[in-house]
Amino acid sequence: MTTRTAPSSTRQFGKAFSRYPWLYSLIMLVVLLVINRSLQDNLFELFAVNGNLRVWLPAMLLAAGQTMVVIAGGIDMSVGGILSMCNAILATQIPSDATAERFITVIAISLLAGLAAGALNGFGVTYLRLQPIVTTYATSFIFSGIALQILPEPGGRLPRDVTTFFRNPIGDAVPVPALVIVGILIFWYVLTRTRFRQYLFGSGSKAEAAYATGVPVSRVRFTTYLLSGLFAALAAVALTMGNGTGNPRAGDLMTLPSVVAVVLGGTALSGGRGSVIGSLIGVAILGSISNVLSFAQIDRWVRPLTDALIIVVALAVPGVFALVRRMRR
Amino acid sequence: MTAKTYTPAAATVRLRRLPPPLIALILAGVLFLVGGLAAPGFANPNQAINIARLAAFLGIISIGQTLVIISGNEGIDLSAGALVTLGAILTFRISGGQNEMIPVALAAVLLTGAAVGLINGLAIAFLKMPPLVMTLGMAGVVTGLIYLVTRGELIGDDPPLLGQLFSEQLIGPVPGVIILWLLIGVVMWVVLERTTYGKHLFAIGVNRTTARLSGVRVTRTLVITYTLAGALAAFAGFVLLAFTKTVFLNLGDPYLFPSIIAVVVGGTLLSGGKGSYWGTMAGALVLQVLTSLLRALGIEPAGQMVIYGVILLLIITFYGRQRSLRQ
Amino acid sequence: MKIAPIELTVQRAVKRYGGVVALSNGNLDVRSGEVLALLGANGSGKSTLAKIITGVVAPNEGDLRVDGQAVRFSSPHAARKAGISAVYQELSLVPDLTVAENIWLTHEPLRAGTLDRREMQRRTADLLALFSGAMRDSLSPETSIHTLPPDEKQIVEILKALSFGPRLMILDEATASLDSRQVDRLFNLVGQWKRDGMAIVFVSHRMEEIFRLADKATVLRNGESVGTRAIAETTERELVGLMIEGMHEFERRPPSAALASAPVRLKVEHVTGHGLHEVSLELCDGELLGIGGLQGQGQSELLLALFGALRVSGHVTISGEEARFKHPKDAMQKGVALVPGDRASEGLLMIRSILENLQLPSWREYGVPIRMKKAERDGAQVAEELRMVMASLDAPVNSLSGGNAQKVVLGKWLLRSPHLLLLNDPTKGVDVGAKSEFYELLNQLRDRGTAILFYSSDDDELLGLCDRVLVMHDGAVRAELAGDGLNRTALVAASMGAAG
Repeated sequence: MTTRTAPSSTRQFGKAFSRYPWLYSLIMLVVLLVINRSLQDNLFELFAVNGNLRVWLPAMLLAAGQTMVVIAGGIDMSVGGILSMCNAILATQIPSDATAERFITVIAISLLAGLAAGALNGFGVTYLRLQPIVTTYATSFIFSGIALQILPEPGGRLPRDVTTFFRNPIGDAVPVPALVIVGILIFWYVLTRTRFRQYLFGSGSKAEAAYATGVPVSRVRFTTYLLSGLFAALAAVALTMGNGTGNPRAGDLMTLPSVVAVVLGGTALSGGRGSVIGSLIGVAILGSISNVLSFAQIDRWVRPLTDALIIVVALAVPGVFALVRRMRR
Repeated sequence: MTAKTYTPAAATVRLRRLPPPLIALILAGVLFLVGGLAAPGFANPNQAINIARLAAFLGIISIGQTLVIISGNEGIDLSAGALVTLGAILTFRISGGQNEMIPVALAAVLLTGAAVGLINGLAIAFLKMPPLVMTLGMAGVVTGLIYLVTRGELIGDDPPLLGQLFSEQLIGPVPGVIILWLLIGVVMWVVLERTTYGKHLFAIGVNRTTARLSGVRVTRTLVITYTLAGALAAFAGFVLLAFTKTVFLNLGDPYLFPSIIAVVVGGTLLSGGKGSYWGTMAGALVLQVLTSLLRALGIEPAGQMVIYGVILLLIITFYGRQRSLRQ
Repeated sequence: MKIAPIELTVQRAVKRYGGVVALSNGNLDVRSGEVLALLGANGSGKSTLAKIITGVVAPNEGDLRVDGQAVRFSSPHAARKAGISAVYQELSLVPDLTVAENIWLTHEPLRAGTLDRREMQRRTADLLALFSGAMRDSLSPETSIHTLPPDEKQIVEILKALSFGPRLMILDEATASLDSRQVDRLFNLVGQWKRDGMAIVFVSHRMEEIFRLADKATVLRNGESVGTRAIAETTERELVGLMIEGMHEFERRPPSAALASAPVRLKVEHVTGHGLHEVSLELCDGELLGIGGLQGQGQSELLLALFGALRVSGHVTISGEEARFKHPKDAMQKGVALVPGDRASEGLLMIRSILENLQLPSWREYGVPIRMKKAERDGAQVAEELRMVMASLDAPVNSLSGGNAQKVVLGKWLLRSPHLLLLNDPTKGVDVGAKSEFYELLNQLRDRGTAILFYSSDDDELLGLCDRVLVMHDGAVRAELAGDGLNRTALVAASMGAAG
């Protein structure tokens, strides 16, 4: 056995990486933040933290939902569509003079809409046994179409109180988005301490084996699509409260980045391995890259390429390590 | 099956036994005729040719996609859309509207596309990156390259010969692109069914260990496939310019996902190892008839999207189902 | 430990897949404190019958009764609730979960609704202790399943079935990847369980194991239960007679005189790497050289290395020519062929046609465009030579039975008339009829002068067929047995690592 002769520190390291698949992305994020800090003095001050988190929060919520689908062996290409749909509902149904009751009712409705959308995806993928990528792509048309029907043009204005509350740190100390992120983390922590965690990873790692053991694979997968729909709706709430307005195409360009964030966070697209924590880090990485490029004052025609290259390299690094390890053997 | 009683269920079973490309073709025909009933004047020969012409563009974009999906292991090419844009912009720029520069432009288009595809293939084969992630990243890189090189200014022109060759009527009322497409269909059949490369492509799509232990150069086949896919996507951009006559920065993006759906509707397994380009051609026709029909019916865009989504779901429900866990 | 009594009967069970009948009349009964062996050739329906009992397969017809009550299991979970637990041939383990997580999947110990990981570790350690000494001591409950070798996976699978506290346990080919020490341990455990009052259904191809373990045997043939015999009152011959009609008898051939003067085809010197240590051997044309030893002692790696699929150091010559293969294709072009150990995952393209499987290594020889007519003719010829039972060459390989599928793997190499044939346990999971045909074929190939390197996990095959047997242990050749020295005692002793 060659592993036995390996120095124990390397082994510990490898063990930690396999238990916490997001360690690598955390290191990457720290590096990016250090660079970002050197370009932007106030990066860690409340104002900037609040701003960044507010911008990242919708993507983080989308990625969190996407992660659970991916771990269970699927993929959800409709999260952007669901976000657009819920964004349209929120922006049109909450007038600027809305009462608190109305506000809460509409949020509840949009969360239900997200759940319903997730249920449609889950039904197609688990009970009709359709390919996840095609199914959710097809349903994304339905959701985007509904968004366009409800809100043909960007518009709507939320009550000023709502946006003010959301945009300003509570007691001038705690950013609201940070609370939401802590909420996601608590949700994930609790989930990974339950039996559902074993079902989730089992279904994604090898569905036939999990099924033969008695894991209700279909129900587990269905649940992940429900959760993904719910998180997309929550993302819409965060986006609408942040922007104070609606856009029927808000989610169009958010689906694919949610997949990238999930992969950057160390979750395997093949299922069975990963973590929501990593995906949150993944979103922060994507956000930090664009911050760094903008503060480094890179020419705006050069920026898209630089941005894409950094992401590709970041995605490729684990592969390069694995290649080197294979070559050495 | 010895049941002779005719029931709808039995009819479905019988229909399911037909090869998927044929089902898709029948579906395209049915949709076209339904269109004729629903929107008077829809089902006429001119419209048919127009639909076929538009389907041909989509079909050409789907060539590489078909190969990559057959290669298995979640094979997919999300850089195809950006490469279509790149192909069109390169042709626009290099030819500058001059017919005699077309061969030079074509060579540049094919080489650039192949280079991008090669990088995809190398990263997927050697760094074991999931194709979805790698090609998505590559789409960003290609788009970035376009921004960098053009700096937003799209200088150039479309060579008139390109339009005459592909878009306008070439033989009788039939435009060149349809003839090109049919030729490609024949070539693709030969490539997939009658060459060692094709046989090896299916093999690596089903089981790479078996393929390797049977003497198939898996990595090489894979890299060749992604390289071909890159070159063909860029070539699709070259052909597309004949139709659009102009270029913009996200010209190819709307074709990306339809190019995957066309492959799936044509009965090629997304999991790899099984499929045909005939199927993809039929799939492209179905998608185009559907799009044209929804437009002809005068439904507003929001409704069009919803109906398109629902019909896509119905089509894949019909034969895109996976195996049940319970036997 | 006392186990609640159980009595299970199955009558007239039928299972159809589309138009194919996998089981036409399945019957069995088994009760507490009894070991029932289920045997039959491949495709006889014994696995289907076993899976009906465990709820994996839903029967189309039939009567299933537990303690006299008619039941219908909607899932494996439902069967398990009734106290029926199974060890599957294709393992039901989840690769990305740990040993402990796999064993306790769906019945994890909980504390206040959350996973009690400490308790899970403790209980897992207790279960692993049942096999202590027969597997690595370093195996921890926290090891990921995908890092385990096949035998340890099999043991985890057995422990997992046990963890449910079953009244009835089904062992479906559970010994296939275990070495003899592990098999002994398992059989001791089964004896213990039996005394505790468990009922056991044991599915196996190995007659010797059935006679060691079972109280009675139910034989299936062509999807039908054709008889049940008490083991004490039957013979191997009678059971085999029930299983197949017209079995080919075979006996060990005297070593051919021509062998002494035959040229050396393969010479291996000091091959090291991938767990192999200094392996050297020589193989002549027309010789059948066996490789024995416990499972996973480097036999597969040696064959893969000789075929160019693994990179090793050392010196290999084929017909006196240096052979440094970088890819199986290089080996193939020098007339080497490999029948790998796992048909489904290494030997076949399950959803593609028989023809495409047969011709996969050879398409290059048919030109561009491929001369399909010729390819079909050649394919049909080899199918006929091997007496393949199939609908047509265009039928997908996954429509074939195990024995016929293995013939496809063999056939694709026979089409290339190899000079050197490497065989990795080719009769694993193959029924008796196909086995005897296969032995006949081996002898024909030898007569044609093919050099054959033959690893088998079945000692009888090595003893009955080979001129010479190399026994491997821990990646090295421990003994070379030939002539009178080639006997069961010597083979077993050398397998266990005793000095040859």
